Amino acid sequence: MIYLKLFLEFFHIGLFSFGGGYATLPFLYHIADVQHWYTTKQLSDMIAISSITPGPVGVNVATFAGFMTSGVLGAFVATASVILPSLIIVIAISKLLEQFKHNKYVQSVIYTLKPAGCGLLAAVGVDMFVNNINLLGMFLLAGLFFASLTEKRDPLFYLVVSGVVGLVAGFFNLTT
Amino acid sequence: MYNCFMEKTLYQIFKTFFKVGTLLLGGGYVILPLLQSELVDKKKWIDDDELCEYYALGQSIPGIIAANVSIFVGYKLKRTAGAFAAIAGIVTPAFVSIIILAKILEEVIKLKFVQSVFWGVGIGVLILIFLAVKEIWKKSVVDKFSCWIFFIIFILSAGFKAPPAVLIILAIVIGLWLPFARKIEHGGEKK
Repeated sequence: MIYLKLFLEFFHIGLFSFGGGYATLPFLYHIADVQHWYTTKQLSDMIAISSITPGPVGVNVATFAGFMTSGVLGAFVATASVILPSLIIVIAISKLLEQFKHNKYVQSVIYTLKPAGCGLLAAVGVDMFVNNINLLGMFLLAGLFFASLTEKRDPLFYLVVSGVVGLVAGFFNLTT
Repeated sequence: MYNCFMEKTLYQIFKTFFKVGTLLLGGGYVILPLLQSELVDKKKWIDDDELCEYYALGQSIPGIIAANVSIFVGYKLKRTAGAFAAIAGIVTPAFVSIIILAKILEEVIKLKFVQSVFWGVGIGVLILIFLAVKEIWKKSVVDKFSCWIFFIIFILSAGFKAPPAVLIILAIVIGLWLPFARKIEHGGEKK
């Protein structure tokens, strides 16, 4: 039963991938080895594609794998399975938080978790910076930075401007 | 465009998260600046403090972070139904775009202009992450101790590639230990 298999594999990923983003990747490569729903080459393409399509990588690959194995219904099953653990866990924690919001241990953990979360995001930023930047990228980044100082802008502004600059720069072979 | 305090119907929640889901490019991390812009600044449904808390919590449990954060926010807005509306909104654009692209995946990835746009958007994502860090810094680094936590976690993650899950557990352990330590130091006073 292919739908049950899809459900089990992707529920498993949703339940055990910790730390988001690329934490799901080892699981996804493992599936490629064991289930042959997609090849590792397809998975690499998929990961590259998922950074230009909407949505988190984990969700994108789930949809893709489901679709490749059994069409739209398979895509739906795989996608729903990968987020089901999140739904259950987050709703449970939300309910608990409502109850224990003022408990001093809960407050203390939230107090330490916030700067930790901030630190992790900063590390992601540094990592992306080191891996992607070139001279033109520096200029683009500096330009966007100054644009951000003058007024608070919609995120869409930065994505569109940088996408267009990338497109133009591509014509002149400046992006690599 | 200044439709603040918009009513939090399930449809509005779905629509708002659908928009965020559409703009969720370059990995799920952009969820934070996007939610900040849509839900904190424009609609004023939640505040920066709450968003920061959900983001931290969303990283400390299993699952895809963007999904976790969306479900937290959706639950806060309209409980379980809100959680479903939010996650459906986030996932729908992703789902549809992959269904459309799946068959032509290999051709698309080879197109040069697609890669150029992708490169540019990557830089845009960087600035969004930078701005998000700046915002949540204000809400999360409130004293000397939280500043220490920030830098220790940052260095362990960026410099030593420690797994995020381990660092989150470390932060939780410190959080649980803190009330004891403070009690010993100066009679249980916090902040």
